[in-house]
Amino acid sequence: MTTTLPFDGIKVADFAWIWAAPTTSKYFADHGATVVRVETESPPDLVRTVGPFKDGEPGTNRSHSFGDFNTSKYSLSLDLKNPQGANVARRLIGWADIVIESFATGKMDDLGIGYETVKKLNPSVIMVSTSLMGQTGLASTYAGFGFHAGAIAGFYEITGWPDLPPDGPFTAYTDGVAPRFLAAIMMAALDHRRRTGEGQFIDASQLEMSLQMLAPQIIDYNASGRMVSRIGNRSRIAAPQGAYQCSGEDQWCAIAVETDEDWANLRSAMGNPTWANDDRFSTTEGRLSRHDEIDKGISRWTADKSPQHVMEILQVVGVPAGVVQRSSDLMRDPQLKHRKFFRELEHSEVGNVPYTGHQFRIKGYDNGPRFAAPMLGEHNDFVLRDLLGMTDDEITEIAISGALV
Amino acid sequence: MLSPYTVLDLSDDRGEMASMILGDLGANVVKVEPPYGSSSRRMGPFLEDAPEPENSLQFFAFNRNKRGVTLDVTTKAGRAALLRLAENADFVIESAGPGEMAKLGLGFDAFEKANPSIIYVAISAFGQDGPHADYVASDLTLAAMGGPMSVQGNPERAPVRLSVPQAWLHASSEAAVAALTAHALMIQTGEGQFVDVSAQTSMIATMLHARLAHAIQGSDMERAGSVLQAGAIELPLVHECADGYVVLIPTGVTMTGMVPWMVEDGIVPEEWIEGEDWATYDRRFLQQQPVVYALEDVFDAIRRCVLLHTKADMLDRGLRDNVTIAPINTVEDLTKFHQLEERGYWLMAPLPDGTDTAVAGILAQLSETPLDVKRWAPKLGQHNHEILIEMLGMSEAQAIEGGATIPQEKE
Repeated sequence: MTTTLPFDGIKVADFAWIWAAPTTSKYFADHGATVVRVETESPPDLVRTVGPFKDGEPGTNRSHSFGDFNTSKYSLSLDLKNPQGANVARRLIGWADIVIESFATGKMDDLGIGYETVKKLNPSVIMVSTSLMGQTGLASTYAGFGFHAGAIAGFYEITGWPDLPPDGPFTAYTDGVAPRFLAAIMMAALDHRRRTGEGQFIDASQLEMSLQMLAPQIIDYNASGRMVSRIGNRSRIAAPQGAYQCSGEDQWCAIAVETDEDWANLRSAMGNPTWANDDRFSTTEGRLSRHDEIDKGISRWTADKSPQHVMEILQVVGVPAGVVQRSSDLMRDPQLKHRKFFRELEHSEVGNVPYTGHQFRIKGYDNGPRFAAPMLGEHNDFVLRDLLGMTDDEITEIAISGALV
Repeated sequence: MLSPYTVLDLSDDRGEMASMILGDLGANVVKVEPPYGSSSRRMGPFLEDAPEPENSLQFFAFNRNKRGVTLDVTTKAGRAALLRLAENADFVIESAGPGEMAKLGLGFDAFEKANPSIIYVAISAFGQDGPHADYVASDLTLAAMGGPMSVQGNPERAPVRLSVPQAWLHASSEAAVAALTAHALMIQTGEGQFVDVSAQTSMIATMLHARLAHAIQGSDMERAGSVLQAGAIELPLVHECADGYVVLIPTGVTMTGMVPWMVEDGIVPEEWIEGEDWATYDRRFLQQQPVVYALEDVFDAIRRCVLLHTKADMLDRGLRDNVTIAPINTVEDLTKFHQLEERGYWLMAPLPDGTDTAVAGILAQLSETPLDVKRWAPKLGQHNHEILIEMLGMSEAQAIEGGATIPQEKE
């Protein structure tokens, strides 16, 4: 029995690269759409050239910086600058319901497949152009990565320690933020198209979408002039909060006291140490003003315990606590096992490897990535013959022209 | 785009952005709050520092494009009114925690009975079931359990989170995707769907290529401050400038544009311009192939050059010369960034205190179905009369019994 999938029958021509846009089209691929990832060997998608590589061994088809962001997709290697390659791209655009691209602004026009052309080839297509700054404005050509957008948006300013330069969020933060907004927009556009037959052009700026994550702070500045900055792991409204060092090598447990009751419970879980029995700690204000002192006391208590042990002790009494988990810890996390979060899939070159699963489960449908990420150009024949309906002669001619690289 | 659909938002601060996104995309969203208001009304920042329910900017920011009613779902009349609303709704979004809605008789089963094609989205910290389902969580502990903290922060200190809560926003935006995915399935099968969103896994997604590092390469990625770990090469990303900090990576394009700045500032001799094939410099140092000027010398020159200029100047000059340089903006800097103004990003919103203020704009620019904000966040119970009395046909007495404490005249 075949399971009905949410995007069965939907076809996507995916000219995206790096992380943000491929993550967006992956939502459609994993949930049933036929997604053709158009890429080239010269040069390959940047994320194919950075790790983590399977077994630490570099290789175009060995990177999970590519793999984990491109499951359930077919790969077509195509030189868009080759006239035959451009012809194939046009055929693919004519085939697609959705075209998505994340090149520098204007590149699709230069390649002869800008929206005006795309619309002629396929009047009801939904075309998505996504970049850091959007398709218009002086900065539209700004060719940066998610680090840059993260700095401009304000995420760097708020990550790190007040007495040190900003550390910033891990890597390209906005690449982890924007895909959800854009996928939702595209799903809405697809539903509109299903009902009305009308396609359209979507100009999505990674910066603009990401600013929703700071919306209250932006209003606060505009209304009051108040600005947020980095304060380590502390809260402005509750204490104590922080990551506390535990036994083992560089092991930490995060603890977040949110109420006076949490504090009372934390104190008793620690065995009511003398230092904590201080009336001045009974209010949030008192705890906020003597945070350093409290942190020292908690750290003495956590120092000889594993972070898992600290978490379990505090969860029993209802105090928010969580182990600072590395990727190796995530693989062992019993909750993630219960959700069958990680999925092993057979990759054509590196074999059976785990992929991250979905952040949501739909009841009665075991949703997850459907098949492993493709090798570069792995599905050239399938795409040209089975999806685009080309004949052997046509395919041979295209191959001889050197377009399939 | 989503104008045929109605969303019942039963969530609190842990889920409100989900229905905001659907509302921004055109859905008719009804925010159902308890008589004492959503938890987000008690969260700052507050206008004028006054912690009043109508002053919460957290509530204001994530409840636009919604109408608001109050219902006390611990009463029979409140529950009945809610399930009647569900009969004509397409989506229900809640964030009460595993089993909490079912305890009130308002689990998926009750909604499915009222409306067999309903999409019911439940947002929680770890998921609706499993060994950690009942774990208490906060933004900080989710950043820990989801992994991003392990790769964030100075290695000499503790791992860090972002200083503005993010976890529930990640989960909420994922919930909007989840709702529309389940809806696409319902369109084909006709069957309602229960969708279980986990905030922990939403945080894992933000770990990007570090999330499977150990399973793939045999070692975890570790926190390295603001240093970018690119295989065997470590690239400092943050550089001090004349008035703060900037982020800069010496890509080929950026170096091509920037070496002339360094020459102009007298930091490197003019021969640097022609002395290196800057366009391919990055690919060569990443693959540890020969370069003319050592990476540490290039970084030293970058540091000295950047120190001489302000972040705004470098951003503008960079735009002209193809140098990708990013100021580490404060909120104030951000509001001055001309690109956002040029694109008409900022929207003016009437705040509850009567002043107008610029707020984050629409999600994207669409050619045929432009997005807009039709209404700003509702006051507590603002649409009780319109929705409960006029639309559902409840009497005023019934509405009051159901927790609509202040039925008001139509807007």
